[in-house]
Amino acid sequence: MKAKDIFGYSFSAIKLRKLRAGLTTLGIVIGIAAIVALLSLTQGLSASLTNSFQQGLSANTLVVTGQNIPLYANYTDQIMAIPSISQDIVATIPVIQQTGYLTNSSGSTMKVTIVGVNFAETAEAYPTTFTAATGTISRNPSDYSIVIGAKISNLNLNGTIFVNAGDQLTVTTQVPIANETYVGNVTAVLAPIGGLSIGAAPSDTGVYIPINQAETYFGTNQLSEIIVQLKSSNNGTITTVSNAITKYFNGEVTVESPTVIINTINSAISTIGGFIVGIAAISLLVAGVGIMNIMFVSIIERTREIGILKALGMKSRTVLSTFLCESALIGVVGSAVGIALGWGIANLDALVNKRSSLVKVNGTGVKITPVLTPEVFILALAFGIGVSILFAIYPAWRASKLNVVDALRYE
Amino acid sequence: MSVPIIEAKDLKKTYLLGKVPVEALRGINLNVKRGEFLSILGPSGSGKSTLLNLIGALDKPSSGKLLIDGVDESTLDDNQLTELRGRIGFVFQFFNLIPRYTAIQNVELAMSIANVGKSERSKRAKELLETVGLKDRMNHKPAELSGGQQQRVAIARALANEPRFMLLDEPTGNIDSRTAQEIIGLIKKVNGEGVTVIMVTHDQNLAREASHTIEVFDGMIKSDEVNHA
Repeated sequence: MKAKDIFGYSFSAIKLRKLRAGLTTLGIVIGIAAIVALLSLTQGLSASLTNSFQQGLSANTLVVTGQNIPLYANYTDQIMAIPSISQDIVATIPVIQQTGYLTNSSGSTMKVTIVGVNFAETAEAYPTTFTAATGTISRNPSDYSIVIGAKISNLNLNGTIFVNAGDQLTVTTQVPIANETYVGNVTAVLAPIGGLSIGAAPSDTGVYIPINQAETYFGTNQLSEIIVQLKSSNNGTITTVSNAITKYFNGEVTVESPTVIINTINSAISTIGGFIVGIAAISLLVAGVGIMNIMFVSIIERTREIGILKALGMKSRTVLSTFLCESALIGVVGSAVGIALGWGIANLDALVNKRSSLVKVNGTGVKITPVLTPEVFILALAFGIGVSILFAIYPAWRASKLNVVDALRYE
Repeated sequence: MSVPIIEAKDLKKTYLLGKVPVEALRGINLNVKRGEFLSILGPSGSGKSTLLNLIGALDKPSSGKLLIDGVDESTLDDNQLTELRGRIGFVFQFFNLIPRYTAIQNVELAMSIANVGKSERSKRAKELLETVGLKDRMNHKPAELSGGQQQRVAIARALANEPRFMLLDEPTGNIDSRTAQEIIGLIKKVNGEGVTVIMVTHDQNLAREASHTIEVFDGMIKSDEVNHA
């Protein structure tokens, strides 16, 4: 029997029991929709976090922090001079970072992290993020220059202006000298960066002052961290340099790489995602059992018909094919509808809430754009059809093995 | 002399009814010539249905030989038996049409199983339904047809793949006597066109219409007569 004729026969059998076929298909639809919705949200989350990190960080930077030892200014030169990696490093930037308070002209105060860096070097290392939206970032700033992130100027970017470029700000610290104060000038406000940041990398909530001023003002010559700018962002360079620096300081420093952090987060997300999708997959197996059940009912109902077909010369193999074709049809339709539905569900959250209500970082929703990759599409389709066929194999085999004399006599 | 289309030699069939062996056929010897109209007569339980199942390649004998067109059925595997069945025109007492298919689709189904192409299928199905007198009922489903009409569809379906012979199991058992006469007329017409016909019945009057009658009783042939009309 030709494939087209097998298809036609199977289709006519499904058409005969529309409600039943519809309900069986619904099982597959639910399973596939759950898998697709969860996978596309997980991948969207992963992409959105990666993007957030990439916005705030330069992929070709490393952040060195002391684990058991203090970091001193001359360490920057020592790192540059490590023979095996010196050719990979563009610059090393010392960072002093402490908590302080800013008070604007109308007397409002906010708690911030104050970062002391060399403006020129920082602008080199973070060419896309350490850039002024208003004002200018001087390469040779006065001690009283202050560069602030977008959210310090325009609080949470909601229109409440705390301070503008050109305004004065009173900077107060409690550590280590109680309530020491100086008045600085806001020389630049950074363009909004968005995303997340680690260490001293430019961020929307950052406050940057020249490193010399930080040293004097905080009364310390110990660095909070050293930013290492690399010539390349490839994983090999990152690993080589990280290892060399760690080894040079006898393992007493920690070297963090944005790239490595992103990879770690993504692998965690994919592990959790895999687990959740695994649970969703169970619902698909339940649907598969439903298919098996309905196939058995169908075979019992059509026992006599199977007898007739065999008496007309239909081979056992063909009988098997017709039943597999029936369940494959259910699988194809169920998977296709399931993928569309799952994609719809994944987008609904983003559509209704603009920012996901499901996933939050620091209390605010992360903007997730669900991602449906061709791999997920094909995987979902194959999985749906695969389960449908797999669970139909045994019933179909039983049908094909029916004794023709008994089947014809069946009432 | 040509090879008989069906030749049975000491054909035996034993069933297990639970644990009790039942000898349904106890040594049948039979020759059916090409173009014959054979009727197999016998009361219920005589073994005539078992004989029909064996001749129709629906079942295999326990012992003895059954040659169909010179080929020993007991040497065939399941696939070969299935292929053989495809070239036998079955007509059953209860019509056995596919209820969701129309008359013409039922006839076409038999041909699609035999891999006949779509246009050829449709052309031949129309011709056959015309032959059996159902030109105007081709697109009706079995439920919309009378018993006699359903049996005509079944005969058309049986003829679809140019069968080696036609095998009818009580073809008029489920229809009224006037329609039964028409069906017999149709069967004789088909036989007249050269198709070998084998019909199982318990109706003496119907059996008399055949050119060759055997009577089965208790698993053996009680009489074997060739009618010289």
